[in-house]
Amino acid sequence: MKMIRFHYIAILLSMILIWGCEKNINPELPEAPPLTFVDAWITNKNEPQVIRLNETLPYFENSEFPGISGADVRITDNENNEYLFIESEITEGEYTWTPPSDTETFGKIGNQYTLTISYDNTILESASVMNRVPEIDSISFRFEEGNSFFPDSYFAQVYAVDPLGPGDTYWIKAYKNGVYLNKPDEINIAYDAAFSAGSVVDGITFIQPIRDGINPFEQDENDEFLSPYAPGDSVYVEIHSISNFAFYYLTQVRVQIDRPGGFAELFATPLSNVVTNVVDVTNNEPLIGFFNVAAVSSKANWLDPGNLPVE
Amino acid sequence: MRKVIKFLTFVFLLGSQFSYADDSYTELSEKISIAGYIKDASTGEALIGATVYIREIQGGTTTNMYGFYSVTLERGTYTIEFRYIGFLTVTKEITLDKNTEINIELTEDTQQLEEVIVIGKTNTNVRRIDMSVNKLDIKTIEKIPALLGEVDIIQSLQRLPGVSSVGEGAAGFNVRGGSVGQNLVLQDEAPIYNSSHLLGFFSVFNPDAVTDVKLYKGGIPARYGGRISSVLDIRLKDGNNKRFGAQGGIGTIFSRLTVEAPIVKNKGSFLIAGRRSYIDVFAKLFTDVLSEGAQLYFYDLTLKANYDIGKKDKIFLSGYLGRDVFKFDANQGFSWGNNTATLRWNHIFNDRLFSNMNFIISDYDYSLAFGEDDLDRFEWKSKIRTFSFKPNLTFFVNTNNIWDFGAELNYYIFTPANAIGVSNGESTDISLPLKYAFEWSLYFNNEVNFGDQFGLQYGLRGSGYSYIGPGYIYEFETIIPGQRQNLVSETRVEGREVIQNYFNLEPRISLKYQINQKNSIKASYNRLSQNIHLISNTTASNPLDVWVPGTNNIKPELANQYAFGYFKNFGVNNDYETSVEVYYRNTDNQIEYIDGADLLINQYLEGDLLFGIGRAYGLEFYVKKNTGKLNGWISYTLGRSELKVNSINNNEWYPTRFDQLHNLKITGFYDLNERWTFSASFSYISGTPTTFPTSRFQSQEYVVPYNYLSSRNNTRIPDYHRLDVSVILNGKKYKKNGKERKNRDYWVFGVYNAYARENPFSIYFSQGTDRPAAGEPVPTYGTQLAIIGTIIPAISYNFNF
Repeated sequence: MKMIRFHYIAILLSMILIWGCEKNINPELPEAPPLTFVDAWITNKNEPQVIRLNETLPYFENSEFPGISGADVRITDNENNEYLFIESEITEGEYTWTPPSDTETFGKIGNQYTLTISYDNTILESASVMNRVPEIDSISFRFEEGNSFFPDSYFAQVYAVDPLGPGDTYWIKAYKNGVYLNKPDEINIAYDAAFSAGSVVDGITFIQPIRDGINPFEQDENDEFLSPYAPGDSVYVEIHSISNFAFYYLTQVRVQIDRPGGFAELFATPLSNVVTNVVDVTNNEPLIGFFNVAAVSSKANWLDPGNLPVE
Repeated sequence: MRKVIKFLTFVFLLGSQFSYADDSYTELSEKISIAGYIKDASTGEALIGATVYIREIQGGTTTNMYGFYSVTLERGTYTIEFRYIGFLTVTKEITLDKNTEINIELTEDTQQLEEVIVIGKTNTNVRRIDMSVNKLDIKTIEKIPALLGEVDIIQSLQRLPGVSSVGEGAAGFNVRGGSVGQNLVLQDEAPIYNSSHLLGFFSVFNPDAVTDVKLYKGGIPARYGGRISSVLDIRLKDGNNKRFGAQGGIGTIFSRLTVEAPIVKNKGSFLIAGRRSYIDVFAKLFTDVLSEGAQLYFYDLTLKANYDIGKKDKIFLSGYLGRDVFKFDANQGFSWGNNTATLRWNHIFNDRLFSNMNFIISDYDYSLAFGEDDLDRFEWKSKIRTFSFKPNLTFFVNTNNIWDFGAELNYYIFTPANAIGVSNGESTDISLPLKYAFEWSLYFNNEVNFGDQFGLQYGLRGSGYSYIGPGYIYEFETIIPGQRQNLVSETRVEGREVIQNYFNLEPRISLKYQINQKNSIKASYNRLSQNIHLISNTTASNPLDVWVPGTNNIKPELANQYAFGYFKNFGVNNDYETSVEVYYRNTDNQIEYIDGADLLINQYLEGDLLFGIGRAYGLEFYVKKNTGKLNGWISYTLGRSELKVNSINNNEWYPTRFDQLHNLKITGFYDLNERWTFSASFSYISGTPTTFPTSRFQSQEYVVPYNYLSSRNNTRIPDYHRLDVSVILNGKKYKKNGKERKNRDYWVFGVYNAYARENPFSIYFSQGTDRPAAGEPVPTYGTQLAIIGTIIPAISYNFNF
């Protein structure tokens, strides 16, 4: 279930059970040596594609991740195309492939891609496919009158239809006024038109929680909720086709990082390591890394109160 | 296993040898039985576990779960005492020349209440064969300080050695390192699948309707089966068959009312007990939160009726309806509840043969609904329904030899998801197929006493289980251990075909050696199997956990428990009861979950499960002071509970979520006078295990915790301790004119968490609630959550007349 639903319940429960309390603590964590991690999410957008090769930090260390430089980073596909990623001169560990022209993009839907990273006698590998992505039909807004939890609010909804055939997985990313909605509870992913492989909802419009998943729920300094959108705000949405493995990966990432606290903790699952898809083929050393190649569709709209559907 | 059978055969032969000797003796001197029911004179309630003591033989028996006893003696004259704690003893001199029925009614010892001195107890705990069994008296439960003053059976159980919970708000309880779903919870013999109201803050049992609470942590008799950790056997009152009575109360959370009355005086009666939370009624006065159809309440209704048909037959009908409703508007919300019905027939074939037969229906269901209009909505209902038939025969050979034979047939219908999703007007049925299972068991149990010194209870239960069609057979293969399994095949089975059979033999044995009147040692072994499983991978068990049947992929959970105990009483009146028990339990086919397991509405759920072995061991100390103005008990448990599952924690043993090394509970009462009682309870529990990360990495915009050592439950949250106190003020007993008041009432004033400790429930790690700035390192925090972090006062008013 989408956590926002539990928020409601948590609010309700906290109405009666106001005895709970939370405090920030700084427990001593077990020490661990740094581990290499790869962050490789490639898209067919016409912009530079970046692969990052870094080392982990202690969990509480709030600083830049050390980069690993001097690596050979390339992606090949089943048509023998090769994309060479060049190390950034500014940021260590950042490797970029830039489309040669304004019209060219990375890859082709249906092709299989292999990522190879070589450094210090180590070779890392991973594979992905660029899957199909549906067009966005529309982005609309609706107005809802406020209640005790919520002020009068404008909500945005993105409409797209999952193509027939089960097994399509997506990551829906939203930007409000150009700012990417990047909170853990804003991770909006879909398996076909809904949430999971085990209950097939295929070939229809994304279900409401996914359509609504492009709304930021923010609170003011008095912890009162704000309307997700205000007149004049713009919204821009991208659908990224991701592999089933990536869907599974993001599901786990969300479980690990979306911790609203309070009563949701009763429903929380234990902390565990997410399973990733980049492997060390030379030494079989532990390694963290994810590689995905996505096709992207997008659309934008802005909130014009004069242009709302009448309910 | 073979050894166990051999041993049992030996014991069985020994037992029959003994009975045989007894029988040959019979030929010389004719044996005569006296049998009957022992009841409360004021209400007609059966007294469970009342003692029948025959002076001449310095021995006797106790009444069973239905208040029935049977004693077989030689022809002669005997002085028989009928005793029950808190009641005046009735002594009868009887000349036995033929089989006799003696029904006894005992009168409550009001003298005792006035003097506020609990009279001496018998040395039952030393004398009885069973060990690892705790009985909680409802009157005691009522005195224990409780959260918001709501008398609660499950919370009270946690004051006993070997019983714990992961924290406030968690549903259910853990016994000797077992999980919540491994407890068999019975209310009037009907299984209760979720024992909690309001997540886990309150339990579903209405204390006003309950007469007896018994928890078997080990040495579980053969008549119980189906769960591998413990049995909680809760019995409901029959209802007053003498006169109309009512009791109730107004508390902070619930209002309660119980009404009981004869149907036909001395022959039949009924009881209706209801509780409802009224926070919503209250809230409506102050806020409009509950307008627009929002609702928040929970209730339960307990019903019971009984009727004597002739002298030999009694019919009972019990019912239970409980529900929690949380709705945040007219269409959205969730609800859960148990519904049970039990039809019971007790028949006395003759003075030595007693039968009990139960027909039971038990349901647990929950439903969720989301969506603001008909074009976009989601509805999900899930249910487990059980039909049971449980016949049991008790044969009282003589006071030293009792046989039980019986069977249990269960038919289960699982509805994992009856669900529909409507998106933009297009609807998709995402229901999962129903699942069916049939379970049968046959058992015998024999309790024999060889004089006063040796006692033996042994039994064998054969448990058969069939997972049957119509349904699907899924086959999986493991690609990488610990990750989602690959579906290899999916086969539809039409009709009532058997998909998978399991059979388990479960020997049970308890031994007692009574050194003298004050000391005994006991040992027990039991093997238990479990065919239906509670699936839960969250920090605390909660109402949305699903019960699933054993399948070709999910094998029966098995447990062997060995326990050894020393029981010793002190004082002339057995003023102090003490015991020390050690236990060791190993388990097989324990269920764990892959990381990121999808447990809700997933037809391939079985592919997300992992299986391993478990072990739990511990030492339990118990000291109880029965007499005097200051009374109460201390429980201390030193325990471990661990699992070993391939792919978790580098394949090494790791502590379970409810592993608590130290568990100390002190519960004390001070009965100042007939009006004032002061109660206090203190708990100290080791912090539960949790997993801390070592490192962080970044994946796109997110900072993700990582545990370099891949260890599970590698650290512990701080210890838990809490003091609760309460004061009970009994209403005046006499009117101003000196006449005794007919009705009684009392106030309870309580404080939960008296020194306002913020007891941690969990520690979690997150990147904070602010939106991370692009390009900046993402800050991360550790947060310690206390579900209850403040003093909670409570007041309640209770009455009965």
